[in-house]
Amino acid sequence: MTGEPRGMREIWLSSTICAALLVAAAFGAANGGQWATTSDQCLGGRLDAPVRIEVFSDFQCPACRAFYVSTIRQVLKDYSTRDKVCVVYHEFPLAMHPYAREAARYSVAAQRLGRAQWAAVVDALYENQERWSLDGKIDAALLGAVSAEDFAKIKRMLGEASIEDAIARDIALGQQRQVKSTPTWFAMSSITKEQKVEGPMDYRVLKPWVDANIK
Amino acid sequence: MKDAILRTVYWVSRIGLAGLFLYSGYVKLQSPLQFAADVMGYKLVPAGLVFPVAQYFPWVEIALGLLLLVGWRIRYWGVAASALILFFITLITITYARGIDANCGCFGTGEKISPFTIFRDSSFLVPALFLAFFKTKSDRITA
Repeated sequence: MTGEPRGMREIWLSSTICAALLVAAAFGAANGGQWATTSDQCLGGRLDAPVRIEVFSDFQCPACRAFYVSTIRQVLKDYSTRDKVCVVYHEFPLAMHPYAREAARYSVAAQRLGRAQWAAVVDALYENQERWSLDGKIDAALLGAVSAEDFAKIKRMLGEASIEDAIARDIALGQQRQVKSTPTWFAMSSITKEQKVEGPMDYRVLKPWVDANIK
Repeated sequence: MKDAILRTVYWVSRIGLAGLFLYSGYVKLQSPLQFAADVMGYKLVPAGLVFPVAQYFPWVEIALGLLLLVGWRIRYWGVAASALILFFITLITITYARGIDANCGCFGTGEKISPFTIFRDSSFLVPALFLAFFKTKSDRITA
């Protein structure tokens, strides 16, 4: 480049730097397949589904309810039933919500009975959140969500130390993954890298991303 | 002396602004979903357009950053950067005035729109306008 005007040399040099930066940005955006390996049970869908959504949630948090009712419930219905999306829920009860930890105990206990019972309890806890958040009467909110037999089993398990251990493990996992508020969720697929999202998201916004990632 | 100062300001503005746009675009590309959630929070873009905006807008920022870095026809890109920054300022000011509790989405997560974000984004106009309106020797060579 000897003999070229200084301006031209400058443009050549800058262009080379830019090309390197562009390659780095493109690689960063498309670097895929980084699955966070967990042994958690999916609330819906199979663990090897092309898309996985892992939610750190607090049953007493209004934004978590909004996210579940308006978005996750629809994802479960439209995609998890076809094994296209695995939805994993992690307990992340916040200290500011007095009944959140107790609700999380019900959820973990129901999870041990099976997916159907767990899904029913999670759905009932969010659906009736406004009611039990006032007085902490979670039992009443779950009436009819599961059979009387299963409900009795859940009640018996509530006091077990292993239930509390499971919640503590979820909280530790959340802290390890820099979860600071709820809902915080991670979206992963086999073609794009893991994305962390803080706060709820409208189903109409999430749907195009899911559609693009299940092909 | 005056020319040397202007030349220093020119380089600081150019590299600083390029770095700003490159960083901003790169951070958004790391999680288009988070950026989509932030865009949705402004309650200005129709839901059907939010994801395409979140997916492609970071590339506009990266392209602008690269063009500022290359330095070719720098004054045009200075005007483009000024227009884009002005657009951001208008957007966050309107959202703040409407009392919407939204994330800025400017440089990653968790930053709520506040008078500080409006002031900070406004300060980015200074180097952008400098590049748009001031002619240095370097500008005369490369443009």
